[in-house]
Amino acid sequence: MPPRLHSPNLASALTSCTSAWSQCIAQPTRISREFSQTSCQQVTARRRRFYEWINGPGAALRQPLPGSTNYLGAYDRYGNLVRASPGYQRRSKDQPKTEGEESKPDDTEAKAEEEEAPSGQDTIDELEMAVRRDEESARKTKSKEDAQRLAPETAEDLRPFPQNKFFRSQRVLSEDLREAIYQRVTKDGVTVSLASVEFGVSNERVGAVVRLKQVEKEWVAQGKKLALPYAKAVLDMLPTTPYVDPSLPENKGKRPITHEAINDLIVHPATRQQLFVPVAESRQFTRVDAGKAFDNNLLPADDRIPHPELVLAEREMATGLSFEERRRLAEERLAAEQEKKRREEEARLAELRAQKVVPKRRWDFVFKDVSVEHAGKDGRGVKGVGWRYGMPHEDRKKGQVKIPTKVKA
Amino acid sequence: MRKKPRFHSLKKLKIRQDWSRWSLYSIARLAQPNTISRTYFQQKWTAKSDTRAYHGEQIREKKWKRLFKRSLPAVVPMDHRYLARHDGSEQAAGRGAGVDEEGKKQTPRMTPYMQMTYYPIERRLDSAIFRSLFASSVRQARQFVVHGLVTVNGKKIPYPGYMLNPGDMFQVDTESVMFATGAQKIRSSVARKIAAEKKAARGDTSGSAPAPREPTIAELISQSTTTSETPSHTSLKTQLQTLMENVEDVLGTEVSAKDKQKFREFRQNVKKAISLWKTASPESVTTLDAQFTFLQDQLAAKRDPSSTQPADTSLSQDDAAKLKKAFERLKQQAEYDAQWNKRDASRPYLTPWRPRDFMSAFAFIPRYLEVNQNICAAVYLRHPVARPGLAEVPTPFPYETGQLAFNWYLRRR
Repeated sequence: MPPRLHSPNLASALTSCTSAWSQCIAQPTRISREFSQTSCQQVTARRRRFYEWINGPGAALRQPLPGSTNYLGAYDRYGNLVRASPGYQRRSKDQPKTEGEESKPDDTEAKAEEEEAPSGQDTIDELEMAVRRDEESARKTKSKEDAQRLAPETAEDLRPFPQNKFFRSQRVLSEDLREAIYQRVTKDGVTVSLASVEFGVSNERVGAVVRLKQVEKEWVAQGKKLALPYAKAVLDMLPTTPYVDPSLPENKGKRPITHEAINDLIVHPATRQQLFVPVAESRQFTRVDAGKAFDNNLLPADDRIPHPELVLAEREMATGLSFEERRRLAEERLAAEQEKKRREEEARLAELRAQKVVPKRRWDFVFKDVSVEHAGKDGRGVKGVGWRYGMPHEDRKKGQVKIPTKVKA
Repeated sequence: MRKKPRFHSLKKLKIRQDWSRWSLYSIARLAQPNTISRTYFQQKWTAKSDTRAYHGEQIREKKWKRLFKRSLPAVVPMDHRYLARHDGSEQAAGRGAGVDEEGKKQTPRMTPYMQMTYYPIERRLDSAIFRSLFASSVRQARQFVVHGLVTVNGKKIPYPGYMLNPGDMFQVDTESVMFATGAQKIRSSVARKIAAEKKAARGDTSGSAPAPREPTIAELISQSTTTSETPSHTSLKTQLQTLMENVEDVLGTEVSAKDKQKFREFRQNVKKAISLWKTASPESVTTLDAQFTFLQDQLAAKRDPSSTQPADTSLSQDDAAKLKKAFERLKQQAEYDAQWNKRDASRPYLTPWRPRDFMSAFAFIPRYLEVNQNICAAVYLRHPVARPGLAEVPTPFPYETGQLAFNWYLRRR
């Protein structure tokens, strides 16, 4: 296509137009690049400002801050680290860091998070413990390096996007904590829910950590190369939850630091609306009734949270049962749960056994019992097998998505 | 034809999902939306165009419109102690809204639903890879998926639009991750060779770096680690055999002359145990610990029928210690091999590896992912949710922009 030129007849047409039109096209004339299509080659004001920012305030973000996170929210608009003390100087990369500096931010940062995290687990004594730990370590490392040390991050400093007040970089599990969770679940044979309560890590995360650690150990056994430089660098950049090893003498009496809220209640869609239910004053309107008012199948929060056993245990304690009694009840519950799990496993195995498998060179043929009725009235039932006469497949039709919706683990 | 706009334009600052300096600059320059002098439609349009430039910019608008959901997920953290001690009727006490307590009036924090508009996009495979810090941009993550470098639950999935289900484990090739997140190579190998030749011609020896020293452990057991793609039964066995051959080298220097005899016997026993390797199923010997316990059991079984001397039990303890040591060495060596960040011209990234520029400003992992950086694998735990005071969808935009964008997609629905 030819370059766009100022057509002379357009200009002439515009001269006859109203004054408002002529105002629109009144532009400063550019002498040098009248016919050029390339964008401006000179350094524009925008580009100059960009480089000014990148080499000025943005220069601090180029390299990671050793032993700390390095987000945009931690700096003011002139590129100064807000939480740094006046005498602070950024260390160069090769300079070794002291031990006090390494351990300090983790502990206090945990405390900071504890204060704002509305976790069901956070307790006053844990906070106290963290504070005491802080003071102790502060006393230990109170030395000439006071000015050099960075204060722990506040919620503000953990904001990668300063404009978004509702997002912050949350802590991830440290390498030690992952190993500890893996050992607790595999070696000690602790159930996932118990490990979750012990470490203050959600159920799903415990499962994921064990699964990933298992793969990692297999890699080590196979002699595969791990991405250790990458892992080290990334974990150094992120805020992490440290592991409080209870076997060490200096950690005696310390509780593990809660990583996240473990009793999250999912907001049920039925509860999104506002309801006005007239109730007699004399009536005891409890959570169960409230659930029924929203939806007949909606269970109360006590049963919908991931750890209902904690509520049961707490309730028994509140009713004043003796320790022996409570223990007996807990064991009964555990036995019932295991029995249920065993039955499910048996049913699964029985189903597997019922299948007839014929191994072949490349694929195994699996024979299952199916019913013709599964195809349904229109022959397109999800469970239906095979092809029905007169019912063409839809998979070649326009708009049929072929991306799998699930991958079996 | 109209010229395609620049991806990173300084004229129209758009934030993109990548770790570039332009994105960082745009985030730093981002301001509250102008709500005073513009019409509601203009505000919504700008909010939509800004947020869409960041969220799922690689997806067509029509596709995103079909993904959009007006119901946004949220959770409320519950306290089990409160649940145990109250049955909920206390909230209807007094005149129907709970008994007033003086001084303890605490309004719960706002749940930022409006920052969750783009939560379905976070479910996509390419977005999840970018969020777990395995790629430096979503487009690169997408390329990894398309090129077949990503597996989901051990199966290769070449679809960037695959919607992850809770519990899915995805894994990216470690070399690609190191390439994506590492600092870039400055020059090609040819250029570096030419530069070296020129330097040699000049007779300048002061600048040349000293040759990196090979570690002793790596020298000793370098044969024992063979990278095998398929974790097969036999490969494990051969690996163990090579290990045992190397055990002599490793421990030979430390064992005194008196222990030589014991040591030889020990090696024979280990060999016998290895010959029994076939009896074990591959699942039971996948990890090093499992291998170690298996060998120990085999040794004990060997020893029991022939235990005539009392000295044997102590010897077996000795053996166990030695075996343990050998396995420790193997483990250390594997770690050392990877950790020893050596210079390697054949790599596509700058070696020794270091993170790329500005990576730390973008390094965060949202809570709906659990990442193991060592193997470059992650598990998608659940869908992102909003909770009081916190939205899990990482978005650089202020709350008002999120509201406006949500309202844009809400219309006609």
